Amino acid sequence: MAQRRVWLMIVALVALGVGLLPLSQAFLGLRLTYTVRVVALGGALLGALSGALGCFAVLRRESLLGDALSHAALPGVAIGFLLAGRQLGALLVGAGIASWLGLRLVAAILQTTRLKQDAALGIVLASFFAAGIALLTYIQSLPDASQAGLDSFIFGQAAAIIQSDIALLGGVGLAVVVALALFWKEFKLLTFDADFASASGLRSGLVGALLSTLIVITIVLGLQLAGVILMVGMLIAPAIAARQWTHSLEQMVALAAALGAFAGGSGAVISALDSDIPTGPMIIVVAFALVALSITLAPGRGMLWQQQRQRENRRHLRSRRVESGA
Amino acid sequence: MMGLERALIELLLHFITREDLNAFLRSPQHTATLVGCLIAVCGALLGTFLLLRGLSLTSDAISHTVLLGIVLAFMLMTGAGLEGDTASPWLIVGAAAAGVGTVALTEALQRSGLVRQDAALGLAFPLLFAIAVILVSRFVDDVHLDDDAVLVGEIGLAWANTNSHCFARCESLRIRPEDPAAQQTRHCVNCRELNISPRDERAEFIEVCGNCGVYTPAQAWSAGLLDEAPALVFFPKSITVMLALTALTAGFVALFYKELKLTAFDAALAKSLGFRPVALTYALMILVSLVAVGAFDAVGSILVVAFFIIPPATAYLLTDRLSGMLLLGPILGGAGAFFGYDLARGWLFGIFPLAEGIAALNRLFGLQLPEAWDSSISASVVLTMFVIFLLAWILSPRYGLVASGLRRANSRRRFEDQVVLAHIHNHQDTPSQAIELRAATLHQHFRWTPQKMSRVLMRLRALGFVSLEAGSAVLTERGDAHVHAFRNHMLVAHNIPDIDPTQS
Repeated sequence: MAQRRVWLMIVALVALGVGLLPLSQAFLGLRLTYTVRVVALGGALLGALSGALGCFAVLRRESLLGDALSHAALPGVAIGFLLAGRQLGALLVGAGIASWLGLRLVAAILQTTRLKQDAALGIVLASFFAAGIALLTYIQSLPDASQAGLDSFIFGQAAAIIQSDIALLGGVGLAVVVALALFWKEFKLLTFDADFASASGLRSGLVGALLSTLIVITIVLGLQLAGVILMVGMLIAPAIAARQWTHSLEQMVALAAALGAFAGGSGAVISALDSDIPTGPMIIVVAFALVALSITLAPGRGMLWQQQRQRENRRHLRSRRVESGA
Repeated sequence: MMGLERALIELLLHFITREDLNAFLRSPQHTATLVGCLIAVCGALLGTFLLLRGLSLTSDAISHTVLLGIVLAFMLMTGAGLEGDTASPWLIVGAAAAGVGTVALTEALQRSGLVRQDAALGLAFPLLFAIAVILVSRFVDDVHLDDDAVLVGEIGLAWANTNSHCFARCESLRIRPEDPAAQQTRHCVNCRELNISPRDERAEFIEVCGNCGVYTPAQAWSAGLLDEAPALVFFPKSITVMLALTALTAGFVALFYKELKLTAFDAALAKSLGFRPVALTYALMILVSLVAVGAFDAVGSILVVAFFIIPPATAYLLTDRLSGMLLLGPILGGAGAFFGYDLARGWLFGIFPLAEGIAALNRLFGLQLPEAWDSSISASVVLTMFVIFLLAWILSPRYGLVASGLRRANSRRRFEDQVVLAHIHNHQDTPSQAIELRAATLHQHFRWTPQKMSRVLMRLRALGFVSLEAGSAVLTERGDAHVHAFRNHMLVAHNIPDIDPTQS
C-alpha cells in the first residue's frame, strides 16, 4: 500500500507540474515566453538533481555541508573569471575546484584538530566566502566591462539561463543518474552504516569522496539559479519533505527528485508572474511549503498523525486503568 | 544614546584635544579598525560559548534571518511614515525578534522528531533569508538595503555617518525671511498639479525663503552661515552602537560567567542544579542577534558569522582554559580587524605586498591584471582572521600540526627503541643468541628495512643502551637498567604481578 502511494504521488506531482503551465496561462495571464520556458525547465532539472542527491546529504547528517560548499564555490568563480574570462565552463570548473577544496579543508580540520563539525563548516564557509567577496571587489575595479553580472552567483539569477545551459544541466544530470545507478548499493550502505561498510571491505573513503563530488557538481550547477546562499535549501528541502512519506531509500530519492522538480519549475513560473520576484528565493519558498505540508500531513509520521496516535494511546491507557482498578 | 555619547566625549576631551579627536575619528582607517575590533570583541565573547556548545552555525542562521527582521521593521517604519534608518531602535527590536524566531523555529522542527538538528537549521535560514530577499526586491527601494549592503556592509564609510556634539558657541541659528542672510527663491505653485515644467508659460510663481529655518550649530557651520566655528565633535554612530553592545555583552558574560560555564560543559548538571540552561540559551541568542544587527551596517549580514566563529576556534586551538579563550578570542579577532584594513589596501600583516603576488601571477599565466589591490575591507578582515587561524592550526604549541607531528615522530622513535631493547633483552644469554642478535640480520626479525634498523641501532648506541660485540647487539649495563625500569613501570601501571623467569 505504502509502496503504491509514493509512486502515485510522484506521478501526480509530475502531472501537476506539467499541467501548471497551461493553467497559469489561462488563469493568471502568464506569458509563456522563451525565457520563462527555459528557466522553468532549468529549475525543474536542477530541482530534480539536487533533490535526489540531497537525500544522501540529509541522511548522512551533513545537511549544512551543502551550505559550506556552496559558499566555498564563490572564490572559484572569481578566479575562473580572472584566468579565462567570462566563459560559463571556466566559471563552473573554478567553482567546482574551490568547493572541493573547501570539502577537503573541512575534513582536514576535523581530522587534525579538536574542533567539531559546526565550527569547521563555519570557518570554511566564512573565509571562502570572504575570499570570494574580496576577489569580486577586486574584479569590479578592473577596466574590463565584461565582469558585469558576476555577482549574480551570490543571489542567483535565473533569467541568465540560456538553452545551452539546459543542455549542460541535462547532460550532467544524466551522468549523475548513471553514477547513482552504478554505485547505488555502495552509496546506500555508506549512508546507513558507514562502519559496517568499511568492515565489509567497501573502500568507504573512496565511495564517500565520489558521493561528495556528485553533491559538489550539483551545487556548482545550481549556483547560477539559486545562488550560493540559498543553494542549501534547494539541496535539502525536497529530501526532508520526501523523508516524511516513506521508509525506503529508493522511494525517497525518486520522490525527492519529483518534489524538487516541482518546486523548481513552479517557483520559476510564479516568479515569472511578477518581474520583481526573484526566482531563486521563490523556489526556496515553494520547496519549504512542500516541507511544511509533508511534516504535517504525511501518513504515519506527520504531526497530525502523531497527535491522533497520542490521543488513541491516552484513551487506551485510560481504559486499561479503569479495568485494572475494577 | 546621545547622552552617553556626550559623556564619553567629555571624558575623552580630558586626555586629548578636540582637534586631535576629530582628526582621529575622521580617518577612515581609525574608525573602521575601531568598529571592527569592537565587533570582534562581542563576536568572540559570545562565539566562545556557541563553539563550546556546538552551536556555532546557529550564529550563521541568526545572521541570515536578522536580515528578515531588519527588512520587516524597515517596511513597517516606512509604512508608518518614519524615515528608515538602520540604526533605529525599532530595527534592533525587529532583528532580535527574528533571531529568537529562528531559534524557536529550529527547536520546534527538531522537537517534532521529524527533522534532525542540522537539517532543521538548514531548512529554517534559507527560507527566512529567501523571504527577506523577495521582500527587498519586491517592496523596498532604498539605498540602505541593496545587495551590496547585505553582503559586505560599509565599514570603510563608518567614519562618515556621525552625530555632532557641540561644546562651545553652540547657539542654534534661526533665519527668518527678513534677515539679510535669507535667500529668496522662486517656487512654482502649480507645476506639479498641472504636470508642466517651470518654463511653461502657465506656471505661476511665488517668492519663498529658500534657506529659512532653524539650524543646529553643525548645520549652520557647514552651510557657511557662521563666521566663527563652534567647538564641534563629530562622533561616528557605529562606534557608539558597538561600544554599547560590547558593554552589554561583556556585562552579560561577567554576570553569568558561572552559569554560562556550567551550561557549556554540562548542560544536564546545570539543569538539575536549577540554572535553567534554556533561558540562558535564549539570552545568548538574543545577544547574538543584537550584535548581528549592530554589525549589519559595518560588515553586512553574512561576513559577521566569521566574527562569531573564527576567533574562538583559533583560541580553542591555543588554550584549554575557558578564561584563556575569552581573553584570546577578542585579541585575535581584534588583530584580524587591525591587519584586515591593511590587507584591503594590499598589505598582508602590513609586511607582504599583494602587488608582487599579482605581478608574479601575471608573469606566470601571461595575464594583464592590474597590480593595485584595493578590495572590500570587511572581507579582508575575515580573510586575515582566517590566516591567523591557519597559523594557529600549524604552529599551536600543543595542538598545532607541527607540534603533534613532532610528538608523533617522537613516540614512534621511543616505540622503536623499546621494541629493539626488549628483543635484545629476551634473547641475550639464550642459545639462539647468535642468530637472533647478529647486527647484520637483526632487521629481519622486525620486518624492517636495513636502513631503519641501522638508524635505530645507531640511536641506541649513541644513548649508551646497546653496544656491538663481535657483530652482535648486546645490552650495556645502562641499557639493562633501562629495560628493567621500563618493565617494572609497565607492570605496576597495568597491575600485573612480576613473573620474570630470569629473576626467579
